[in-house]
Amino acid sequence: MMKQQINIVAYQCKACGKVHFPFHDRCLSCKGREFDEIKPQGNAKLITFSQIFNLPWGFDNRFIFVGVAEFENGVKAMGQITANDPGELKLGMTVKPTWGVVRVIGGEDVYGLIYKPIQ
Amino acid sequence: MRPVAIVGAGMIPFGRRDDDNLMDLLAYASLNALDDAGLGDKGVDSVYVANMGAGMLNHQMSVASALVDRLSLMPAAAEAIENGPASGASAIKNGLLAVASGYYDVVLVVGGEKMRDVSGWRATDFVASMTHPTAEYIYGITLPGMAGMFTRLYMEKYGVTREHLVQVAIKNQEMGALNPYAHVESRITHEGIVDSWHSRVNNPPVADPLHLYDVCPVSDGAAAVILAPLDMAKKFKKTPVVIAGFGQATDTHSLQERQDPTDLKAVTLASQQALAMAKLTPSDISVAELHDAFTILEIAESEHVGFFPKGQGAQAVIDGKTKLGGQIPINVSGGLKARGHPVGATGVAQVVDLVWQLRHELPEGRQVKNAQTGLSVNFGGFGNNVVSFVLRRGE
Amino acid sequence: MPFDMELESKLRPPELPMVPYPPKLVTLANGRHMVVREITRDEVPRVLEAVRPITTYERDYYDIVASRVYAELLAWYRWRIVNEFCLIAQIDGMLVGLVNSRMLNAKTGMSLHTLTTDRGLRIGSHMFAAKMEHHIEYLNQEEVLIVAESPIGFRRWMIEYGLEPTDIPHELGGAPSYRLSKELYYATKDRLVVGDRPVPPDILAQALDEIIVVDEKTVAEKICGVKGR
Repeated sequence: MMKQQINIVAYQCKACGKVHFPFHDRCLSCKGREFDEIKPQGNAKLITFSQIFNLPWGFDNRFIFVGVAEFENGVKAMGQITANDPGELKLGMTVKPTWGVVRVIGGEDVYGLIYKPIQ
Repeated sequence: MRPVAIVGAGMIPFGRRDDDNLMDLLAYASLNALDDAGLGDKGVDSVYVANMGAGMLNHQMSVASALVDRLSLMPAAAEAIENGPASGASAIKNGLLAVASGYYDVVLVVGGEKMRDVSGWRATDFVASMTHPTAEYIYGITLPGMAGMFTRLYMEKYGVTREHLVQVAIKNQEMGALNPYAHVESRITHEGIVDSWHSRVNNPPVADPLHLYDVCPVSDGAAAVILAPLDMAKKFKKTPVVIAGFGQATDTHSLQERQDPTDLKAVTLASQQALAMAKLTPSDISVAELHDAFTILEIAESEHVGFFPKGQGAQAVIDGKTKLGGQIPINVSGGLKARGHPVGATGVAQVVDLVWQLRHELPEGRQVKNAQTGLSVNFGGFGNNVVSFVLRRGE
Repeated sequence: MPFDMELESKLRPPELPMVPYPPKLVTLANGRHMVVREITRDEVPRVLEAVRPITTYERDYYDIVASRVYAELLAWYRWRIVNEFCLIAQIDGMLVGLVNSRMLNAKTGMSLHTLTTDRGLRIGSHMFAAKMEHHIEYLNQEEVLIVAESPIGFRRWMIEYGLEPTDIPHELGGAPSYRLSKELYYATKDRLVVGDRPVPPDILAQALDEIIVVDEKTVAEKICGVKGR
């Protein structure tokens, strides 16, 4: 089954508007307990990243790129990044979020965010 | 609350210990501490075992019950404390509170980890299981990867360079080479890890911008302390070391939810609490053991504790301020970088090294002259659970 | 031992011509200099002395690797394997690691083993790289067939080099071979193969003068780590 929709839900506090990802039972800012479920919107801005070698069990790649990016509506989320060299990436650059297989756990494909750098 | 002292301390050499299992490590370190305290055949009231991964790494649970049996300490109370890589300091804190409250008198705290029962990539996965399961772990993030992302931001914000990190690594391996308990016995040279073109094999990137020698090794090891009320301390043979202050603070699970991901708030809070309780300031500290699982963390923690203003910790390393004989000697033991980082043992090992410093027991070349006060930072997760102690040499 | 040379000639297949591996000098992380050089057949008995005790260490498949290295080098010494070579690593004359391998034919190399007695300095990585360097650059082969016997070796070689899996049987009789092609070698060489030539004459002379074998207790500690209180 193809899963191309970005299947992430972020949580915006109904009381103070703070955006959370991942889920918290109480707002990190005002302790509010009610949230609107929101989807990450648009492209994202790369906050930080690392090219990671010596990967854990379950990866046969020599390296992956992982980073954190902030979407246009304030959702911040970790994801893998499509790149071959750290020189291809810059902090603050725009990345396009996509959805794909990020890991295989116990024989099952696990889907997650994969950011593609936009020139 | 009555004042509490460390009246016994023991460690075993860290490293690969293929022929010893987890219970061996915990038992050996405990016996070293019990003997150091001169307890002989006497028992203790309670035992706190710091361990993070026996279930995942060694397929063993209830290690505290197993340990009192090994040590013939029944019917002492016993429990294990799991608080990630801060388990060691957490266990000491729990022992401290038990003695301070007046409920127990003599308490054994031992931290140990046997990480090399599994392959390196299983160990990496084990440590990565601390991250958020659906928002972080699934992406293959590792703790070095977290540190790499943190380093990139720290470099950008404060002008830290690779050279600063290299100097931390060289300093700590230099000291580790003098420490018989350290995992890493070898000094490293600038030529070998940076200058020579051979360094591309010797010191490859692990989590860019961090390289192999920016990261602590995966180690087996254990360390232990005996706690008692200060007014009982003269019954023991060694100079007591008073736990003058402690602090603990937590922060968000995911790095990305911190307002400023370069701000290690839990380090600041925990160390401020510890210093305030001891009525000391950072400049009063003679020697510090900071949690340098990655070279960047030694620099960042030295600033968050308040030894240096933000942005000046890196230059302080270059200026030699953190070396033995410098303004504030940091990780004279070699730190996690060279001593090794058996996760459950680390927080206890830091305190044991400070106890030796404050008793003035270390040989020249490792002893901080006339050390009176010590500070430790034990850093769990990626700074989401931090425990700090301030210790003072007793009478 | 008297030989029946007529029969012996049948048991000793003809060898392919093999150019020697030019020695190189590698600077390790600790700043020490390691000579990587090819040994002659005459040096095999000395190397066997170093390998023998390691055949008993179960940890990380050292026993299997050392036993097989022992047998392979002995067979080469006594002319029962052809086209084998052995490169050793020495620091101040002290043997710290070795690799052995052989030419299956002019085109294809058959990688045998990598064994180090000093862990934590990436000596194994340097030595495996030197072995590939010899096959591709000096023996001018098109490919090397590789298997790993230890999980560490598997992760290191297969992932570091991005080796290509094949269904070609490997002489060691275990898993099918992975292949390092000439193209792949040159694509990874910059990252993985280092060393300076020529080795300064005094350093080379010291290495050639004597292969110092570290005592058994030290080797055991290097391989299995420390134990006890």
